[in-house]
Amino acid sequence: MKSKRLGRTQDPTILVLTSLSGGPKHGYAVIKDIESMSGVSFGPGTLYGVLARLEDEGLVESMPSDDHRRPYRITGNGAAVLRERLEANVKVANIGFERLGVLGA
Amino acid sequence: MKNRSAIDWALRCYPAWWRERYADEVRLVSNDLTAEGRSTATVTVNLLGGAVRARTRAPGMPKSYGLWSTRTRVSIAAATLPWMVVAPVVLIAMGNQTLRSHAGPVTSSGISFLPTDLQVVTKHLPWVPAPPLAPAARLVLYAAAAVMLLFLVTFVVLISGWSGLTSAIRHSSSPDRRRLRLLAWVPVLSLLTDIALVFAQNAVRYPDYRMVGGSVAGNARFVAPHLVPYGAHPAEARALAVIVPTVAGVGWLVSIVCVAVAARRADVAPSDLRFGRSVATIVASLFALMMVAYATWGVGLIVQARQAADGNFTTVGFSHPALWLPTVLLLAVGVSVSGMSAWAARSSWKVISLTYVH
Repeated sequence: MKSKRLGRTQDPTILVLTSLSGGPKHGYAVIKDIESMSGVSFGPGTLYGVLARLEDEGLVESMPSDDHRRPYRITGNGAAVLRERLEANVKVANIGFERLGVLGA
Repeated sequence: MKNRSAIDWALRCYPAWWRERYADEVRLVSNDLTAEGRSTATVTVNLLGGAVRARTRAPGMPKSYGLWSTRTRVSIAAATLPWMVVAPVVLIAMGNQTLRSHAGPVTSSGISFLPTDLQVVTKHLPWVPAPPLAPAARLVLYAAAAVMLLFLVTFVVLISGWSGLTSAIRHSSSPDRRRLRLLAWVPVLSLLTDIALVFAQNAVRYPDYRMVGGSVAGNARFVAPHLVPYGAHPAEARALAVIVPTVAGVGWLVSIVCVAVAARRADVAPSDLRFGRSVATIVASLFALMMVAYATWGVGLIVQARQAADGNFTTVGFSHPALWLPTVLLLAVGVSVSGMSAWAARSSWKVISLTYVH
């Protein structure tokens, strides 16, 4: 059973950082990558809102480009933040699975 | 072509610093998405949502005092100007108050906004007592009084904000501060023009009176003494009846634009920005309360109509009850813009205060 509501609760920051952790990408490639890995369709307004914030916080950075399709890459800080957030998510996920009897039963 | 213009139009809604940094990239990504089949409307709406977020939250805005100061000033203007546009519409939409019952028009005595000693107006004296006020009519009258009170209080707060703006412009180092001061004074000039025109209108509309009659006239009939008007200027009165509301309306709109331009361009001190932020917050809060009071007023009118249909009650009527719903919708838009802008002004001021003041 799929829940639309759960789909919407996925943190865009985590999705963008996870996408960029696989290597530098430009905006369209990030959108397609997120779509294939999570099924979430980002619009350009949402993506660049997240990218601008992450750039401001030093978690991602833009790379030089010859055309306007500027690629972005995750920084060391960004990777650390992503690891921390994913570990927290995994911890919660494991507890949830345990309580549901999926793990360790 | 239409697709591109919709996306370009949405991109123009973003702040300048954002467009400079991201617009070209976002245009390419949007074109890629529409080329692969995503609807232009979806992309445009998503971009507009992003523009609202960029304007209210300013994620990634460079840390420059000029940019944050401009953002604060623009937010203050955007928090207060919707009230200036919508509040007069609310008052016009409410119009004049009258009392009615099944037996005809009702008059009341007393100066309270809750009418007492209700009497049905007839051709013959004594007038007969009117039925009691419908229970919901009290709600309508309280709500109407609340709308008026909130209008007056907000107007006073705005005058204080305007005074702060003119003072800030006077003390600013801006090279064109004289021009900005002139722009900021346009509302006062407009108001003085309105007052002068109203005086002129009264002068031509209400003539002097002279007593005639009181003696036997030429045809041997006695003419009772009575007052007759003389000295009126009907042509001028008719012209002024058109000129006065036109000048008032145009003056009001021009004043809004001039104050917005002055607030946008004036390079003011951080303490003035803090004052402006407080004014913006108060105006947005009072504006929201005004919407609640006006919505209550309209609901009260509907309930009152049902009560009057079921029983013998005196009801309170207003000139344009049909304008209630469109006006509530207009208020909702105005209050949303005002609230978001006040929030943006507060968050901008917080950045200024943390980065540049302390």
